[in-house]
Amino acid sequence: MKNGLLALSAFLLASTAAYAADPGVSDTEIKIGDVNIMTGPASFIGRAVSVGSKIAAAEINEAGGVNGRKITIVTEDDGYVPARSFQALTKLIEVDEIFALNGTSGTANVLAMMPLIEENNLPTVVTTAPNELVYNPVRPSVFTVGASYSDAFYAQLKYIHENSEPANAVYGLIRQDDDFGGAVEAGYDRAVKEFGVKDGLRIRFKKGTANFAAEVAQMKQAGVNVLANGGIIAGAANILGEARKLSMDLQVASVWSEDMPPSVNLSAPAGYDYLVADYVALSGPAIDAFLEKAKKYASDEEIGAINRYTYVTYVGLKALAEAMGQCGQDLTRACTVEKLRGLKDFDTQGISAPLSFDNPEQLSGTAVAVYQLNAAEKTFKALTDFADY
Amino acid sequence: MDFLLLLLASGLVSGAAYGLIAMGFALIFKSTGVVNFAQGELVMLTAYISFTLYSTFELSFFPLMLVTIPISMVIGLVLERLFIRPMLGEPIFAIVMVTVGLAVVLRGITIMIWGPDPYNFGAGIPAEVVLVGGVPFYPAQIYLIGALAVLTAAGWAFLRFSRMGIAMRAVAANETAALLVGISVSRIHAVAWMLSAAIASIAGVLFAANFKLAPDLWFQGLRSFPAVILGGMDSVIGSAVAGLVIGVIENLFQGYVGQGLREISGFIVIVIVLMVRPFGLFGSRDIERV
Repeated sequence: MKNGLLALSAFLLASTAAYAADPGVSDTEIKIGDVNIMTGPASFIGRAVSVGSKIAAAEINEAGGVNGRKITIVTEDDGYVPARSFQALTKLIEVDEIFALNGTSGTANVLAMMPLIEENNLPTVVTTAPNELVYNPVRPSVFTVGASYSDAFYAQLKYIHENSEPANAVYGLIRQDDDFGGAVEAGYDRAVKEFGVKDGLRIRFKKGTANFAAEVAQMKQAGVNVLANGGIIAGAANILGEARKLSMDLQVASVWSEDMPPSVNLSAPAGYDYLVADYVALSGPAIDAFLEKAKKYASDEEIGAINRYTYVTYVGLKALAEAMGQCGQDLTRACTVEKLRGLKDFDTQGISAPLSFDNPEQLSGTAVAVYQLNAAEKTFKALTDFADY
Repeated sequence: MDFLLLLLASGLVSGAAYGLIAMGFALIFKSTGVVNFAQGELVMLTAYISFTLYSTFELSFFPLMLVTIPISMVIGLVLERLFIRPMLGEPIFAIVMVTVGLAVVLRGITIMIWGPDPYNFGAGIPAEVVLVGGVPFYPAQIYLIGALAVLTAAGWAFLRFSRMGIAMRAVAANETAALLVGISVSRIHAVAWMLSAAIASIAGVLFAANFKLAPDLWFQGLRSFPAVILGGMDSVIGSAVAGLVIGVIENLFQGYVGQGLREISGFIVIVIVLMVRPFGLFGSRDIERV
């Protein structure tokens, strides 16, 4: 009888590795969730994000997985609707039993998911919504990659001020009348105050505005020749198109969404070699190597969907895998969170600045590099290295 | 270059877009009594169809429209036959709800077929800036204003002189009486949808040529609705004129009064006008004898 009990205890102890682990982990697999914009007008973001996860997972799995466990990505579509993000994550947690979360959709979406993330102590790497609301107040299991729009605009305006300052510089800002626009204006505000340049005009517009003729006419009237363009995609292109019509000579700083191919295709005909600042690389050896890798793991259609969101998500999953790997065989959410919190100078192979979450905000990748579009060739060249501002 | 002139010119451009879209609304309302909430989606769908034709055959503007307009009219007819005709005799509210549902379906279909990415759609119109009286325009902007002028004149002539136009006015005035004198009301409804779709295609192509082709193009339908109200729900010509009025007022508000007032300026005007003329600037006054 005693021997029987001992044998039973030994058997139970031996099998606890699988049974005691958190959800989403088996002896052979780790399930990572991805709540994303797979349908609707913004789905080019979600498609790019999911390609980034896929390439990272394929690369990790080919190298033997995380301590022998293969990564499986489970994607749910939220259509960019915060209520659907909550539903999607509920499904991922309760039905798919994911271990951690990598794709997190937009800012409002990740905020909608926050109660579930906190309740489940879900290790979460936010790569596509580096908004202060996400990391302030800090949630113990949430780690954010990315710079602020404020820093991105400041970096560009600093570059213009120091390197290509036009004569009689008059700065102007056009931005959405929302939180995103507020962040853009914060960077602009910091720049004009710090550089002591003339603040010509600040204009706000409603999201969804297509016709910027009056706004650009106001810019022309105010003599603006350095423009902080807070428009995105078609909006940004329409602003530049109107500026071209009025023959405005402009140095232009743009939102980082303007480095994506759909945006470049829309804006390039206006002929402005505008700047962008981004926390991921847009060109150079790191991107060449990544695209070469993509050919191995992704289909032609998926490669066509690649943009900056692919790079940030790839980096996010690699960091998450690194932390999980450091936990060894006894992989738990608590351990992963602890290891993420200790991550320091994680090498992203040049896709972004090295990642370190060992700071009070658990925020990394805040360094941005400034790039310039060649409108004729629709390519970007780096003007600066990654730097914190 | 004069700032006021610039604002007036750009106001006319955006107003022409509003006016064209509003004409489509008014045409259907005039002959069927239904507010077609899918008009913006019709503008978007026909613009995307035109974009495909342009990408495939590389047509210049006028040949492109010669192909786009008939296709759009067929689409208008099919939508009327499939969704509106079966609702004949049902309460107006039910028919309006069908158009709301149709709008959502058309939005979904458009994204399913053409995807979410926005496109440059030149529509075969040159992109070099031209000066008119010293004011710069893109040719597509001039086409937009020109199209509104031509369609307004054509619409007036059609409703005033053609048999179909007069029949349409008769149906609008009194559907039962029109039936009694042998007018086919169902045919009038179909023609209204076809013509409305034709106008939508012109509006859609020219809007996209000026402001990019994107899946949120349908939203311009809602943005044009104030022009319909201001012009008078049942006045096709009034809607066109009201579009211009709203476009110019919006731009002047933006340029002179202050930020963020562009969106509300049109509505301020509407509220004031409707308080004085509840049936709009050019709408028919409802008279009931008790």
